[in-house]
Amino acid sequence: MSRRLRALVWLSSLLIIAGTIALIVVGIVVTDDHPLSTLSPVGRQGRDIARLINPIFIVAGVVFFLVQGAVLALWWRYRVGGSETGDGEHGYYEDDEFPDQIHGNDRLEIAWTIVPTILLAVISVFTLVGLFALDDVKASEEDMVVTVIGQQWWWEYQYHLDGDTTTPPDIVTANELVIPAGVDVALDIKSRDVIHSFWIPKLNGKRDAVPGRSHDWVIQADNPGRYRGQCTEFCGLSHGYMKMVAIALTPSEFAQWRDNQLTSADLPTEGTAAAAGWDTFSQQCASCHVINGVTSPANRGGDPDAPTDGWDIYGEFNGESAGAYLETDTLVAGAAPNLTHLMTRGTFAGSIFDLYLGAGDHIPYLDLPTSGVLNRGDLEAWISNAPERKPADADGLRGMPARTGLSPNDIDNVVAFLSTLD
Amino acid sequence: MTITERTITAPEETLALPAGPTIAHRPLGAFTRPQGSEGWTSWLFTVDHKRIGIMYGAAAMFFFLVGGAEALFIRLQLATPNGSVIGAGTYNGVFTMHGVTMVFLVIMPMAAAFANYLLPLQIGARDVAFPRLNAFSFWCFLAGGLLLVSSIFIGGWFQNAPDGGWFNYAPNSGLPFSPSKGIDFYAVGLQITGVASLVSSINLIVTVLNMRTKGMSFFRMPVLTWMLLITQFLLLFAIPVITVALFLLMFDRLWDANFFNVAAGADPLLWQHLFWIFGHPEVYILILPAFGIVSEIIPTFSRKPLFGYHFMVASGIAIGFMGWGVWAHHMFTSGIGPLAVAAFSVSTMFIAVPTGVKILNWLATMYRGRLRFTTPMLYAVGVVSMFTIGGLSGVTHAIAPSDTQQTDTYYIVAHFHYVIFGGALLGLFGGFYFWWPKAFGYKLSEGWGKASFWVMLIGFNFTFGPMHILGLQGMSRRIATYRADEGFALWNMVATIGSFVIAVGVAMFLWNVYTSTRKWQRAGRPDVGPDPWDARGLEWMTASPVPEHNFDSEIEVERLDEFWHRKYGVDENHRVVKTATAEEVAHDGSNTKVHLPSPSYWPIVLGGGILLVGYGLIYNLWLAAAGLVLLVGAIYGWILEPADDPDAAGHHDDHHDDGDGHGDPAGNGGPDGNGESASAAAPADTEEGATVG
Repeated sequence: MSRRLRALVWLSSLLIIAGTIALIVVGIVVTDDHPLSTLSPVGRQGRDIARLINPIFIVAGVVFFLVQGAVLALWWRYRVGGSETGDGEHGYYEDDEFPDQIHGNDRLEIAWTIVPTILLAVISVFTLVGLFALDDVKASEEDMVVTVIGQQWWWEYQYHLDGDTTTPPDIVTANELVIPAGVDVALDIKSRDVIHSFWIPKLNGKRDAVPGRSHDWVIQADNPGRYRGQCTEFCGLSHGYMKMVAIALTPSEFAQWRDNQLTSADLPTEGTAAAAGWDTFSQQCASCHVINGVTSPANRGGDPDAPTDGWDIYGEFNGESAGAYLETDTLVAGAAPNLTHLMTRGTFAGSIFDLYLGAGDHIPYLDLPTSGVLNRGDLEAWISNAPERKPADADGLRGMPARTGLSPNDIDNVVAFLSTLD
Repeated sequence: MTITERTITAPEETLALPAGPTIAHRPLGAFTRPQGSEGWTSWLFTVDHKRIGIMYGAAAMFFFLVGGAEALFIRLQLATPNGSVIGAGTYNGVFTMHGVTMVFLVIMPMAAAFANYLLPLQIGARDVAFPRLNAFSFWCFLAGGLLLVSSIFIGGWFQNAPDGGWFNYAPNSGLPFSPSKGIDFYAVGLQITGVASLVSSINLIVTVLNMRTKGMSFFRMPVLTWMLLITQFLLLFAIPVITVALFLLMFDRLWDANFFNVAAGADPLLWQHLFWIFGHPEVYILILPAFGIVSEIIPTFSRKPLFGYHFMVASGIAIGFMGWGVWAHHMFTSGIGPLAVAAFSVSTMFIAVPTGVKILNWLATMYRGRLRFTTPMLYAVGVVSMFTIGGLSGVTHAIAPSDTQQTDTYYIVAHFHYVIFGGALLGLFGGFYFWWPKAFGYKLSEGWGKASFWVMLIGFNFTFGPMHILGLQGMSRRIATYRADEGFALWNMVATIGSFVIAVGVAMFLWNVYTSTRKWQRAGRPDVGPDPWDARGLEWMTASPVPEHNFDSEIEVERLDEFWHRKYGVDENHRVVKTATAEEVAHDGSNTKVHLPSPSYWPIVLGGGILLVGYGLIYNLWLAAAGLVLLVGAIYGWILEPADDPDAAGHHDDHHDDGDGHGDPAGNGGPDGNGESASAAAPADTEEGATVG
């Protein structure tokens, strides 16, 4: 076998091995579904991004194989032997043979400057077109705008059903963003403290939540489903524990969900465990957590005669400050998840715990409060000692403080009370 | 046969040195200069660029082990879902310190080690332009580095370590959100290392511009010198930007200023712009020295000149310029507006062009060469191969819409580790193997070297390769843990195993240093000769290790790769033939009559003063005041000490008896005769023709 042929065989077998490995990896990536994967988008924007980047992955892959192939080929073709220690008469070489001393080739240099430039110019045209198309954020069909507010370490969603973000929101919920499937939903992304980033990988890219700024964004899901997200701008101690879920429902289911969310909660019947739970809750929890129709400004040390209904609870609310930065000493002012319809959510505590056993995946979302089996273990542990389950700096008003003074009975009662919030 | 004939004679006459003004005998009593070049104290007071270079390398290697240990903790924590090896608070400190350490205390000073040691040698100079300032740069860097690393231990394990990420975005860096002392350490420590970088960059720029030996025009400078020069210019312009940001941050945290306080009307994007206007040129500050090293190694072991020298230089300059126009690609999701995103997306794409030119030129250098895969060559080719991967993934997130999916995920972590580990660090390790015999007089073992290269390379790919997949599967950066049902367990475990393989590779490198040193000592310290690799640059044209005075006489350069051309000529068939051995061409270091700058007490004292000021700013302003007194005192000592100590043993200054009145040729001696470069700047005058045929 000639040297050239041997090189060819060696090289091609190497490429086959490399290609096989690459295929296996790609296979694992594509077939094994991951809840946060950017590779299997189910939303319009996510798909547009994938359509833009996938050909470029292929181009990059080709260049990768060309360069690595060239390195291996040069290695194989031009390597020479010699002394291992460099002590030989000719140093590390076995002789004093020198190849042609080529100093360069201007035409070649110009060629390999211009060719990549043209290639990149083509790519940049597609990029710019895609970029401006994606930036054209206009919610279709729906008037609704959801103000998304990041804070350490959970997400609040304020639904403005009429699209007017200067008036108080109609619905306030946390961590699980419920949207109608098939339509673009306009988001208005803000932060109360540090920079966060809102990201549901299967639906769209990420957008930072920057305090003092308001960022328009839009998401759309082709099909009903639950799409996970993760805060992806480092936001301090519990950044890794700041997750969220986007829930896409059919339009009729969404209307049903919306109508339920618009209702207020009622005080539990006297004499029940839930009523005892409310007593504890009103003393221990209601200074931060709002429950529409139940908690009042008095729970926050405010005016007891103020109306208890709805959004007046957000005493500070005016068009600007709801999503605006709050200093730490005012962070208590409603900046804990609104619990009015806690039981309609599948997760809690920044979506790091499932509220129902088995993640409730097999149960239709709207049936969770009725059919789900409550994940008591995590919920009770969370109520009694939250910082143990999710690092927090409660003394600095960042995160939920521990309530280790509560007896198991107290906690049972609080859970009984929370269970009425559906 | 027309072989270029050269007669080589070692210079024998005493060098006629330029005289400075006459120096009073012990002008101020106390202000003498330290003496001698033996013992450990001589290292503390040295102003020799080679010793300073070695100290930079040693310090960087120490910090590399610290940063590497931090990396292993990160990987242990993330090895399995719901990891509990270290808590979230400690994790944030660990990954912040890993980034800060590796960028500011490892790659930058390792590059500074090569710049200090090699730059004067490659341009045929006696030393850098300002030797005392050079020593100060090192001590100042060390002060900043130790201050930063001490934050790990002070007040408990990682209780006061910076915890805002190396990028330290406002307002998370503010007191309400990071109440420990950590970010104070970050703000103060990096200002101190910044002073070191800035001083060093000015010093080295002046050195290259003013102190090139006779005939060393810009386009006869080695590519490494070029890349280091470009790096220094980047430092000169980038460091002030981060310093401004850190200064503002320091005022916010220590004295309640409101530069980044959103409640008081600040826009947090200010920090991002300042940080990345520094931060992106910083990437090229990290990588260009490695590009230079690769450009020295590949021609040597291809037995060919570098392909397209002018294009290599030009592409380096192009990267240097374009590096300033791409910073906002770190901010595609920050809300800077579509037009800005579009502009930075396009500019980022095109910076791939000059980088690609470099890759292709290295490949063309190897084409039809006679490739000898020694350890340095393995590392250099490793850079070509691994950096290409980082460059390609870089292009994929220049596509701004796609970056909104990739940014702040492990895809980015993979990308920049392929650039900084696969590019910069592998290149620097190649440089260690290549110039080790030059600096220490013996070679590191090739067997251990090759083995450690392969272990490191395999570990590297197993660590960072899977991170591409993890990122595309949606794993965010800087998260302390992840849920089991997110599907990240497999590749995280692979990456963790890979990271420990890297650690084994690094341990093998250290073992190699130890055994090779022992072996050399046991063998009676045999002379490795001036040019063990049959290389091309002027640094090989003197004895190994390089004598204190570098070259015995001034070298006159007639072309690129002067040293190689003195060893080889061309016959009538255009075949390369050896005309002289390296030993014949190179200086043997026997000329002891060279005037050298005296060591000085003050650079290290000044560094100590800055260290005290640093701790004082963080903990107690009285301490800062004490440090300030020391600092000012050191500056006075610096000014008042004599240019040379007339009583020093081995003092061979001919200032007194020369008296021919011809002044300081470099013109920067200053009227008090205390100029930094009075003696160091000028390569000794030499008898013409001693080295040039």
